[in-house]
Amino acid sequence: MKKILTILMAALIGTLLIHNAYAGGPPPKNVMKGIFTQLDPATKTVTIKVDGHDDLRILNIGPDVTIDDIVLNKKVMVSLDPNAGPNVIKDISLMFFEMTVTKVIALLIIGFIGGLLSGFIGSGGAFVLTPAMMSLGAPGAVAVASNMCHKFPKAMVGAYKRWKYGQVDIKLGLVMAVTAIIGVEIGIRIQQKILNHWGNAGSNLYVSVVFVLVLAIVGGYILRDALTMTKGATEAKTSNLALKLQKIELWPMMEFKVARVRISAWITVPVGLFTGMLAATIAVGGFIGVPGMIYVIGASAMVASATELVVAFVMGAFGSVQWGIAGLIDIRMTLLILAGSLIGVQLGALGTTYVKDYTIKLVMAAVMLIVAVSRGAKIPIYLADLDLIPRLKQQFFVALDGVSFWALMVALGVAGIIITAAMVKGMLLDRAEKQGQPIKEAIS
Amino acid sequence: MRQNDSYQTQLSVHQTTRKSKTGSISKTTDTTKVTQPAYRKKKPIGKMVVFGAMSLGFYALLLSNMQLVTNTFTLGGWYAVLPVGTAFLFSFVHGAFASNFLSVLGLEPKKS
Repeated sequence: MKKILTILMAALIGTLLIHNAYAGGPPPKNVMKGIFTQLDPATKTVTIKVDGHDDLRILNIGPDVTIDDIVLNKKVMVSLDPNAGPNVIKDISLMFFEMTVTKVIALLIIGFIGGLLSGFIGSGGAFVLTPAMMSLGAPGAVAVASNMCHKFPKAMVGAYKRWKYGQVDIKLGLVMAVTAIIGVEIGIRIQQKILNHWGNAGSNLYVSVVFVLVLAIVGGYILRDALTMTKGATEAKTSNLALKLQKIELWPMMEFKVARVRISAWITVPVGLFTGMLAATIAVGGFIGVPGMIYVIGASAMVASATELVVAFVMGAFGSVQWGIAGLIDIRMTLLILAGSLIGVQLGALGTTYVKDYTIKLVMAAVMLIVAVSRGAKIPIYLADLDLIPRLKQQFFVALDGVSFWALMVALGVAGIIITAAMVKGMLLDRAEKQGQPIKEAIS
Repeated sequence: MRQNDSYQTQLSVHQTTRKSKTGSISKTTDTTKVTQPAYRKKKPIGKMVVFGAMSLGFYALLLSNMQLVTNTFTLGGWYAVLPVGTAFLFSFVHGAFASNFLSVLGLEPKKS
């Protein structure tokens, strides 16, 4: 068993070394990072010192950019227009937005609730943190990179705490992580092909459609499961699919002691692969990984959500290194989000000791469905970008954007409320039980 | 609350010598029962303050040198060690603070 794992890990590290040019998502072609040192309005050129090169380059300001867009002495991401000739600037984004007190507080609060959610259901929270960072002004690639860099320490702390509570199946987590990393690499290739074929708009559309479909279907299934449990049986039953799959005797069979599952290793492969692929394309791995572990492998929601933190840690560390090499991590955002999320994740983790299995499923389902609505609101915008539907009134699109953002905040709020309510109820019950004990002792 | 703390009792059965009225000494067993408030874990206020101060110090350092930090950390290549290493460092220090903070607030996992 150990031999197989070592061989797989060696193969993975080998692939990483060979393909170390690629970050956790494809860094777009014709994009450079650097600092503008000089601007010449007369010739409409600007001098830039590109990262990693000592010499200065001169770029021409393209038709899409005005002189006012040029900010000197601040790091920018510049994308060139390859069709307009060499060295023509198409787009400039400031890499690091101005940090104000409001933004700091926003990052702290969002980080805390995201961490609470992670500690409780195992999902990384990337689906809400990345759009939130982008709406604060970070370019997309920087938002994804910074989130990745915050995900792995948060997952590490959460996994450690939940391991202390006896909920983590380390073996299952590592087995899933190995195939998840392979899945990430596959997902990156798919993402690149789509980007090259259909450009940014097509990529956004593909990501959103997959996102909505996966979250709506899986979320609906989990909701139904959670609701049947609240009505009738209180003990979690292993799903029928998992029971059937566990009967398949295909070497190598693996025993996962904490999850109390004995299953062929081959069954874990597609679960891990899809977790990785979806993490790479739509930035949500946990929403496949956790249900996969519950319904396909047959672990309880408690163990599945805890074990997912191990997978998230490994994937996050892996991806962060790649993004770090590409130089796209805004460490201020990472650390400010960590400030809140490290408290939140530990609170969420200890909260799971006070609740039943179905509460975890309920929170997961609620979040998945609301976030599906949030992302679904953006689909008409992407369809119009690709001219697949006629461009409607601008106000309609602005309204859709607002719906999308606020639905995300509602998802966070709802999750926070359910988790807090369940935890408070559990803690009060526990305290009442403890108080009943001395009376029992006195009587007996 | 201290009043609501459960009690712990200690029962001990031991041999004693007893002097009877007639003056003869005999060995018998006796039980004693002692009750005291249950042992209470002390709250880790000291640890919380230490880690909190360290964490605050690190954050102050970061926020006062924002531009330098962001420019150096995004140079790419081997500089990747900087953001990844910093994330680890902060997570250990701030994570320890958060853990002690939650304990001080009385939020502990359920013992089952």
